[in-house]
Amino acid sequence: MLSKLLKRFTSQNKKNSKNDAKRRLQFALVYDKLEINDSTLKDLQNDIIQVISRYFEIDRDALSLEIQRDDDASALVFNTPILNMKRK
Amino acid sequence: MEGKIIVITSGKGGVGKTTATSSIGAALAMQGKRVAVIDMDIGLRNLDVIMGLENRIVFNIVDVVNNRCKISQAAIKDRRIDNLFLIPASQSDNKDVLTTKGVQRVAKELKKEFDYIIMDSPAGIERGFENSVVSADEAIVVCTPDVSAVRDADRVIGLLYSKSIKPKLLVNRIEPARVARGEMLSHEDVLEVLSIELAGLVPMDEYVLTSSNMGLPLVLQKESKAGQAFIRIAKRLNGETDLPIEVPTHKTRMWNTISKKFGFTK
Repeated sequence: MLSKLLKRFTSQNKKNSKNDAKRRLQFALVYDKLEINDSTLKDLQNDIIQVISRYFEIDRDALSLEIQRDDDASALVFNTPILNMKRK
Repeated sequence: MEGKIIVITSGKGGVGKTTATSSIGAALAMQGKRVAVIDMDIGLRNLDVIMGLENRIVFNIVDVVNNRCKISQAAIKDRRIDNLFLIPASQSDNKDVLTTKGVQRVAKELKKEFDYIIMDSPAGIERGFENSVVSADEAIVVCTPDVSAVRDADRVIGLLYSKSIKPKLLVNRIEPARVARGEMLSHEDVLEVLSIELAGLVPMDEYVLTSSNMGLPLVLQKESKAGQAFIRIAKRLNGETDLPIEVPTHKTRMWNTISKKFGFTK
């Protein structure tokens, strides 16, 4: 029973692990090129949240940071749903 | 008409550069072109043993570049495939023995004598890589669908761009069943990460090891899926640009029986 559960757990880890591979690669290439690391990116994200939060109410849990790649450039895309306008 | 130099490179080692070089070279020769495949991995030669020509080496590329022999003396003729020649690497020299200037001079001569010159670059991005790409007209970057190979491919693609070479990507050792299960990056995933034009897709294939065991050309193994994929890649390089890129597929056993019954497969 326990081994079955364990097996199921590990196989689920394996399943769609390619999505992890892809996401990690996309970020790794950005880190390599800009010579930055995760914490820089996190700081940037937090700063952006702070700035946006001054004007809008946003859903912090639904924030996403993605990398979009064109032919000659890649872009960091920061996406956040805006819940409400903040009244000044 | 002058010949064309195509470099096969990857950054990471062990992704199949040498297999790709020997197979694409052999396939181009079978299509009637005069082809030289050149092992640029000085000190760690392997193209000779993959092609089964290791027992016929007299001179090597270092001898040619350093004017110790003529190209015709160093080029070993493959007896199974017409118009296919191997210029091996030197096994004893240091890998820094070649200069880009020397390679460029020899490259000019090679272009007069052959339709295609396929250079098997060493792994890494140091001197050996520089020597391999210095005279290249085209480049094929080989990678496997794993994080380290793709990352290294990105680095090499960047370096090639900086030398004004626009490379194409060959994704090797694709395992369609694992791709279908989401365990392995698909070629679309790889392309999305790298944004580069495809040269072709090659499936994982047991014949690659067994052919190399015997020193036989992979492209002569009719049953070999990888061999057939390399033939198609060579055809596209050789002007058949309309030939579609075949995506390795995974067929279940049940599908195999059904398709055989209905004659879907040849």
